[in-house]
Amino acid sequence: MNEMQLLTWARGTGLDFAVGIFLLGVLWRLIEIYSLGRKKDLSAARQAAGASGWHTIFRRSVPAEGMLKKSPVSYIGGYTFHIGLAICVFLFAPHIKLIQSLTGLSWPGLPSQFVDLIAVVTIAAMVVVLVDRINKPVKRYLSTFQDWFTWTLTFLPVLTGWMAVQHLLLPYTTMLAIHILSVELLLVFLPFTKLFHAFTVFGSRWYIGTVNGHKGVAV
Amino acid sequence: MREQEGRLVASLAQQGISRRTFMKYCATLASMMALPPSAGIAMAEAMASSRRPSVIWLPFQECTGCTESITRSHSPTLEGLIFDAISLDYQETLMAAAGHQAEEALEKAIEDNKGKFVLIIDGSVATGLDGAYSCIAGRSNLELLKKVAPHAAAIVAMGSCAAYGGIPKANPNPTAAVSVSDIIKDKPIVNIPGCPPIPVVMTGVLAHFLTFGSLPELDKLGRPKAFYGETIHDRCYRRPFYDQGKFAKTFDDDGARNGWCLFELGCKGPITYNACATVKWNGGTSWPVESGHGCLGCSEPDFWDGGGFYKALSMPANPLKLAAGAAVAGAAAGVAISFANRAKKGAAKAAHETTTLADLEK
Amino acid sequence: MGLESIPVVTQSASDGLTGNAAAVLREIAARLESLAKEGQSGIIDLGAMPLSPADKAWLADKLGQGEVEINLELDGPSHVRETRYAGVWWLLHHNPQGAVTGEFIEITRIPELVLAHPADIISGSESLNFLIDDLC
Repeated sequence: MNEMQLLTWARGTGLDFAVGIFLLGVLWRLIEIYSLGRKKDLSAARQAAGASGWHTIFRRSVPAEGMLKKSPVSYIGGYTFHIGLAICVFLFAPHIKLIQSLTGLSWPGLPSQFVDLIAVVTIAAMVVVLVDRINKPVKRYLSTFQDWFTWTLTFLPVLTGWMAVQHLLLPYTTMLAIHILSVELLLVFLPFTKLFHAFTVFGSRWYIGTVNGHKGVAV
Repeated sequence: MREQEGRLVASLAQQGISRRTFMKYCATLASMMALPPSAGIAMAEAMASSRRPSVIWLPFQECTGCTESITRSHSPTLEGLIFDAISLDYQETLMAAAGHQAEEALEKAIEDNKGKFVLIIDGSVATGLDGAYSCIAGRSNLELLKKVAPHAAAIVAMGSCAAYGGIPKANPNPTAAVSVSDIIKDKPIVNIPGCPPIPVVMTGVLAHFLTFGSLPELDKLGRPKAFYGETIHDRCYRRPFYDQGKFAKTFDDDGARNGWCLFELGCKGPITYNACATVKWNGGTSWPVESGHGCLGCSEPDFWDGGGFYKALSMPANPLKLAAGAAVAGAAAGVAISFANRAKKGAAKAAHETTTLADLEK
Repeated sequence: MGLESIPVVTQSASDGLTGNAAAVLREIAARLESLAKEGQSGIIDLGAMPLSPADKAWLADKLGQGEVEINLELDGPSHVRETRYAGVWWLLHHNPQGAVTGEFIEITRIPELVLAHPADIISGSESLNFLIDDLC
């Protein structure tokens, strides 16, 4: 198999399978989670219905008091790489073209030099977060195989994409194929690992917030 | 004068090409091939005084476009003249001889120049039905290649078909076409891919061979690095528009009129290694992207099956067939599991025994 | 449509200097010194260097104009120009369509391209003798 065939496979059959598994997994898990329901809470609500669910969605995005000072790497690094990822994935022109071809939706992109810079920042932030996870005994103790695995799954597409654009290590064609393959790997595993938080994060926050509100926890 | 007969410079002089013109040509050729500037002079000296090299050109499964590219420029170019000046002992399209005469010329050229001639091949090699899909004078291309190749000093695979199989090898490849390098393993082979290739690459390789007695430095795919070292995209004058995110969306919108990047219209520039953007075509007149059409990637292996000429590189090569089915299957699985979960919950509820105060007091 | 109709921002000669021209100038100086001491001539291929138009303008300005200018018609015009510094020549080649195909700095007494080749001199001498023979 030569580079071109690898790329064509990645853009063709590989993508087909990856998107297929991704959709299957996402729908499966979303339906399963949301159809679970909870038992009816028979206790009386402590507080008149406020918007605790919606507040929690927002509030949990802001560091709790004192926490930013206590673990700045988790917050600043986490924010940086999440926002960086979003910019790289959704505002790089070729990616928009892909989404458009799959869904018909399109929006303006950012200049590629800017996205390139963001990619470097994202890579740096991810490395810092990883090093922090290794260095801090508590974090290391809490980390399971899945944590290391999902970090790698997320890191590879950013790294290979950036390397492809910069023409590092391998010819562009090969690097592009590897980049697409790494994204496909991410797509395949996303629904079945903790990466699924991309879909559930706000739903679960709302749920927790609502339950807390019901119990009378201040918003 | 007499001792110069048969020399390249003499035959060029006959066609009104002066030595200085030739030297200038060699200087620019050396520059184009990224050779040290002094190589231009060495090249001119070596080529002018060397005997005209014997070249045997075998056409296999091809369309003659490669021959056209070299010989049919609108005005006689130096590429064309040098090509005329080499001792082209066998080329079916150009030679006067035909039939048995032609085959005799081939035998004689091989016999006279054993181990010294350059073998140019254009077209892929059909291997299906023992090569019966493409025959010349009752012999299959496969048989001919195996017979001639061992006697050649070097092989030049001209065009994408000879280099990588090209269009004949495209799906479903009915003739089981392969490239020259798939058959011949023990000879130096230079691939000059392109559909057709750029004429100057051909003369560059010949000039290098005549001057240094060796082939130029090749990349992993057997192409001269000097010409195939960078992608079309990297040398494209429209590259700034790509970086700014300015794309032509159709062939007749404002973006196209303003000469913006053709990436979204399927340009394969980013994955195509060739010199079109710098050398250009038709005497430096223009090249595909300059004339408003994206690169097809014709000098890359399997470009024909690369997922469509008008699809952006970042788009899926084929329509996603599994997606809809997978979505339905996923939804079905989710619903099925949710029913299973409900049943489990129902069972748990049914199995639940109410605890009364009396039970606790026991 | 030509390239000029595409809105490309052109840099003026004052900016856009990459600093590479100064390096080329030093190389010219070193080669000129070895031409003076050892008679060793040399060529620099300007097409092989990443020089911006501003760099070339800067270099042309620093090298200045000498006494000799030679125009050659070699399948497209070529231009050989002596710079202010004897022994430093600027060569510019065009194809018949007028596009620049090569640009070199040659450090030598006279560029190789201008010199008459010995073999051409011999054949010239023979032709001239034939002409004289025919006259008689």
